[in-house]
Amino acid sequence: MPDSANQKLNGFARQLLAAEAASRNPADAKDSEAFRACEKLRGPLGILIGVGGYRSLLSRALALAGEDAPMLRALHIRADGSLEGLETDLDPREAAAAEVVLMAQITGLLVTFIGSALTLQLLRDIWPKIPDPNFGAGETP
Amino acid sequence: MKKKVAARGLRNKANPNLRDKASSTGKVKIRTLPTGVRGFDDILGGGLPELSFNIIAGAPGSGKTTLAHQIIFANATAQKPVLYFTVLGEPALKMLRYQQQYSFFDPAKLGNAVRFINLSDLVLEKDLGAVLEAIIKEVQASKPGMVVVDSFRTVVRKAMSVSGGEVELQGFVQRLALFLSSWQATTFLIGEYTEGELRDNPVFTVCDGLFWLTQNTERNSVVRKLQILKLRGQESVPGLHTIRITGDGLVTFSRTQGLTPYKDRPLKRRRLSTGVPELDQMMGGGVLEGDSMLVAGPSGTGKSALATHFLAEGLRHGEPGIAAIFEERPKGYAARADSFGLDLDTPQRKGMLEMIYLRPLDLSVDEAMQEILDAVKRTGAKRLVIDSLVGFEMALAPGFRTDFRESLYRMIAALTGVGVTILTTVEIEDSFTSFEFSHYTISFLTDDIVRLRYVEIDGQLRKVIVVVKMRGGNHSKDIREYVITDKGVVLIGPRQTDYVRLTSGLPERIGQSPPEPAPEPKARPRRIDV
Repeated sequence: MPDSANQKLNGFARQLLAAEAASRNPADAKDSEAFRACEKLRGPLGILIGVGGYRSLLSRALALAGEDAPMLRALHIRADGSLEGLETDLDPREAAAAEVVLMAQITGLLVTFIGSALTLQLLRDIWPKIPDPNFGAGETP
Repeated sequence: MKKKVAARGLRNKANPNLRDKASSTGKVKIRTLPTGVRGFDDILGGGLPELSFNIIAGAPGSGKTTLAHQIIFANATAQKPVLYFTVLGEPALKMLRYQQQYSFFDPAKLGNAVRFINLSDLVLEKDLGAVLEAIIKEVQASKPGMVVVDSFRTVVRKAMSVSGGEVELQGFVQRLALFLSSWQATTFLIGEYTEGELRDNPVFTVCDGLFWLTQNTERNSVVRKLQILKLRGQESVPGLHTIRITGDGLVTFSRTQGLTPYKDRPLKRRRLSTGVPELDQMMGGGVLEGDSMLVAGPSGTGKSALATHFLAEGLRHGEPGIAAIFEERPKGYAARADSFGLDLDTPQRKGMLEMIYLRPLDLSVDEAMQEILDAVKRTGAKRLVIDSLVGFEMALAPGFRTDFRESLYRMIAALTGVGVTILTTVEIEDSFTSFEFSHYTISFLTDDIVRLRYVEIDGQLRKVIVVVKMRGGNHSKDIREYVITDKGVVLIGPRQTDYVRLTSGLPERIGQSPPEPAPEPKARPRRIDV
């Protein structure tokens, strides 16, 4: 993936995580933004592509993200598609960077498969206020 | 008129269909929904019967999913959404990836008006009862106007994999149909089936509509067809209809396209000039308006030139025209007309003339006919040239060539029926033993036949023209010589008649009158000094 596209995706992932942080429930405070974002994605994506489909997508995103953020390799996907295994005693800065990479990869895969317009539509159903990342019409980031 | 159409056994919009009858007699009125597929509403007899339980079946790649998507995007609203259940078929992400390439795909409808729900895990892990339960739950929550299960075939396979599966499947389909109809949803089950599976299939017994899509390879071409095998409550058009998958999705071409009702020809019809005054005289004043005229002759005899005269003459009188050409590109066609002093470029720019160049090698006559009918509507054309039938046939997929005559008949009937006068050219080889009109035995399709041919006279290969047939009246029986000059086709004055066997191409001079000068200069013999 070209650097500029990576930067765009990372920037968008940060905005997405910020939107998730802004909508955080006190009850969910113990989970990271990326965990919660994945949980929120699991619902609609599970309906759209099935739990199996969602697990496949997430596993591919984790594999790609693991190259840039090795700590993500410790994560496992449960049968229902939820994530487990992120340790809590990690360097917060490093963990935050890894979360950005993971969200960027999930978004990138969705854009690759269904294009930026449908991806944004899908994400805005969950986080209505996220800005348009301007990936370009149908381009693969 | 209605009676006449009914007597022909044809369906048409004017025909009082079941729902109109029903409303006047207090019977239930079956509303119809648009399919969003060009031509398909007409094939169905007015649209999709609302609340019907339908199956879209066919081989892989025949367009089943695309057809379903067109229908749902044409009907889905936030108030009456569509639930699209995907079951172990094409993964939804892939489906969205490919379907969004079509023009009908409206991303704004996704999520609210069109909702995809994946039931693959349920089918894999549980039984049909659980699948039905999930569908019921979603339908009760969303109150959809339409429901699609894609691919239903995988549900069938799942059911048949256990003992007693057939009974369970029948029960499942029965309950599904009952439930979805009760909840007022028009339903589509999509499945890959082969023709052999049509018999004794419980799914097909329950359904109200069965739309069968096929895809056959004929030599190097692919021919796609659609058949309405079953449709309850509505008069659909029987038979196989050509379909094409384009950027706009499926386009259907009814096999009875063109056989819609038309006004009877008026008893008194105008005579139109062909643009060649002497030929008009031979035809008793010109071709009758709304006639189909065939110009047959070998290569180089001026068939296209004659066709160009015919078009240009119409344009000169303010009659829009269409040239459906198959052997030459429009630019070349216009350039040749220009060399005769006939301007086809200006009328094209003004929208008075359309040149339709059709040359893909997997064309169907129905598609060509649709193109021409559309152009007739657009321009209000009064004259049409089809140049030539040989090129037309070559442009067809091999599978369509067998139906060429039947299709041609429909096309000519449709066009002359709306008052268009048609000039069709056909290339035939000159035989020196016979006098053919065409290879196609299509003279029954034409009102008038003009034959051009070469004859050998006095060391020259000259051209003669004869009006062989005119259904609408008397015509000259003369065989006239003509030349093609910078003015186009020019019939030269009546020549000596002291020849016999002109139609054989090798005439014999029997008269004693002095020889006439050649219409075009002969090469002079070089004097050789000895």
